[in-house]
Amino acid sequence: MADDLTTTAPNTWCPGCGNFGIYNALRKAVHGLGEKNIPKDTLAHVTGIGCHGKIFDYIGLSGFAALHGRALATAQGIQLSNPGLKVIVNVGDGDTMGEGLEHVIFSAKRNADMAVILHDNGVYALTTGQVTPLSEKGFRGPSTPGGNPEEPLNPLVMMLEAGATFVARGYSGKTDHLAELIVRAVMHEGFAFIDCLQPCVSFNNTYERYNRITELMDRPPAGFDEALSIARRKDKLALGVFYDVKKPPHHRELQGERNPARDSQSRQERLGRIRKLHGV
Amino acid sequence: MFSIAEDVFTFLVGGKAGEGVKKAGSVAARIFTGLGRDIFQLDEYESLIRGGHNFSVVSTAPREISSHYLHADLAVALDRRSYEKHAGHIRPGGLIVANSDAMGEGSWDGIRIPLTSKAKGIPNPELRMGVGAVAILAAALGLAKNEFLELVRAEYPRDIENNTLYGASIYDVAQPLLGSRFRLERGNSARPIVGGSEAVALGAYAAGLDIFFAYPMTPSSTLLHFLASKSGQLGVTVMHPESEVAVINMAVGATYAGARAMLGTSGGGFGLMAEGISFAGMAESPLLCFYAQRSGPSTGAATLHEQSDLRFVVSAGHGEFPRIVASPSDVREAYTLAAEMMALVWEFQTPGILLTEKHLAESTMSVSLDYDAAANAAPVMHTGDGYLRYRDTPDGISPLVFPPSRAMNKWTSHEHEESGVYSEKEETLVKMHDKRRRKGDALVNRLKTMKTVNVSGTGPVIVTYGSTTMMVREALIAGKLNAKIVQPVYLEPFPVWEMEKYNREKAVVVEQSSTGVFAIYLKEKAGISASSVILKYDGHPFDPDELAGKLRGVL
Repeated sequence: MADDLTTTAPNTWCPGCGNFGIYNALRKAVHGLGEKNIPKDTLAHVTGIGCHGKIFDYIGLSGFAALHGRALATAQGIQLSNPGLKVIVNVGDGDTMGEGLEHVIFSAKRNADMAVILHDNGVYALTTGQVTPLSEKGFRGPSTPGGNPEEPLNPLVMMLEAGATFVARGYSGKTDHLAELIVRAVMHEGFAFIDCLQPCVSFNNTYERYNRITELMDRPPAGFDEALSIARRKDKLALGVFYDVKKPPHHRELQGERNPARDSQSRQERLGRIRKLHGV
Repeated sequence: MFSIAEDVFTFLVGGKAGEGVKKAGSVAARIFTGLGRDIFQLDEYESLIRGGHNFSVVSTAPREISSHYLHADLAVALDRRSYEKHAGHIRPGGLIVANSDAMGEGSWDGIRIPLTSKAKGIPNPELRMGVGAVAILAAALGLAKNEFLELVRAEYPRDIENNTLYGASIYDVAQPLLGSRFRLERGNSARPIVGGSEAVALGAYAAGLDIFFAYPMTPSSTLLHFLASKSGQLGVTVMHPESEVAVINMAVGATYAGARAMLGTSGGGFGLMAEGISFAGMAESPLLCFYAQRSGPSTGAATLHEQSDLRFVVSAGHGEFPRIVASPSDVREAYTLAAEMMALVWEFQTPGILLTEKHLAESTMSVSLDYDAAANAAPVMHTGDGYLRYRDTPDGISPLVFPPSRAMNKWTSHEHEESGVYSEKEETLVKMHDKRRRKGDALVNRLKTMKTVNVSGTGPVIVTYGSTTMMVREALIAGKLNAKIVQPVYLEPFPVWEMEKYNREKAVVVEQSSTGVFAIYLKEKAGISASSVILKYDGHPFDPDELAGKLRGVL
């Protein structure tokens, strides 16, 4: 559909790429947010580096194509500086659970106010398919031709343990559901994390497996402990919201209602305050 | 033969960390400024929390003074180690007083005051030592006892009763031994005492600072702590995140939102930021960095002074993009330079690094800041329709919009079209590389309209930079020497147009590195061949007396 979210950048995702599903869900979500009085002009779209990162060029949103692994840090800098903006961060599992692990853990710990969509395809696809921190043991890629010797991390468990106040799992093959999750994540005041399962047709084609073992939760887990135990399951991958609680967001705890970009003092005010400090 | 200016009086107090040494130095500074005199205070400490050796030296004169002196007129040693370190650095006519209870075995020469035993019965006796040192100074200067006790009440408000009790007892012991030994001429200065880091913070604030990011690293933490404590008073958000990598990526994000951002760090921290500097260069982020050097390389000596990172700062970050690097000589210049650099980074949308050293970052001096002279950040903003974030312009500078905006506003770390969308096309690469290069040319042209080099005095040429300049100034006074001090403030772009004129002179270069980093840089950039290079790299700033001796040999 051509609308004001369409850009002229030529699309270079592989035909059948899971990213198309996420892209369509994001478009739908942006329209949905518009209907809830969150216009797209107030969205700040931040991306990392990888196949996921191309979404930055394909959707007509303002924002920042940040460094590999560092999107969450740049996103926090934006959000703290103008908490009136709604920050949506699209990142990859290689980029954010590897290079940038410290940033995703700390954003969750802080309850930084943003919505994070992890394009979880289990490979560094753009660099031809190496293993990521979420790849299963035994995964064969160009850097682990003999099979990955390591066990994977579990992003949902890590986010729950780190203090994320909204944790969900989606699937690029279920775009309407994913769009709903994205809207909820953006509307959530605090750190919202969506682990989005995504097949990679070129290096890790999990369509058949995910179609078989993903299952929409019929009710949200009863609390933190049940959320953790469902998140740990590998035989069935539950889709939906695992955890959703209200806690003060970081920007409010750090600077109250102050909006650094909007509330910047005038020059006169600044010189006055400096003089007062020095008693002159 | 010492070269010490006649009108200078130096007080030194040394002891273990946890004995209130630095505080005693600060209180001494207030005694001197109360007499209308100016001061320079240097605090030296080790990388530990208790024990070790700390000392505070306060030099004072009835005129502007730009350095400490290590030869004290009055030294107070709170323990044996301090005595050993400083007894050999007493000016002729000066005195060393030691805590007779902490001297242990072995003979020693000096005035004996039982500081520890006089504190028996008072809670936290180690903490009282600093008060004792101030009492000794007060007596030696001929301050009346009640004046001294009033000072103690004002400066040591926690547990006033015990502090005044202890202070009075030490004063009474010191009075007959060295009472009124030194008469200090009054001055008519009312200059406040300001530290180098504070001046940088306030200069950046005057120019528009809204948000500051830093990870603690000596000696840049002083600025972090200052801004954090003044966050509410000034209205600046202060964020201490998980690492230096977080710091720089957050700060770049902040500039996207239109907030004036600054970060603070030291050597190893800046090393972690190298990718972020390249990021700021490509994304065209107006990022101001405060970099306070310490002894390196690597972890080095955290609390010690050195000036060896120049090459690193002017080149860190892969790829080609303009950057601004400048280094202030003293506290007054730190204020105006910080403001000027904040304005420049917003004018040119490129990273700038204010480079300084432990000596300036953590020393304090009497100074009247030129508050109104601070520049103001005023970026070029887009008006009308047809916005392109990276619009190609003759000077390479693209007008900005801040979010939220109707206009599409894409910033990026990738090579890009004018719209901010990724590009690999040959013609786009050429266009954008040229744009960044032209921005660099525009920056040079801008610098040509500004004062980028300080020149003072007449005589043979000394080229120096950063806080070393202060020591050179005082060394010339102390040694009664004449020289022309040439101090480039801006190091990148390097003011070749101003500095070239010295490439036919015999120039003495003074710097605190071991390989003559600055001397090599001067040769490369402006063809200046140093006739001699005076180096000091033992972790401490030059003492004017020591430097005067070395200069005398080569001027």
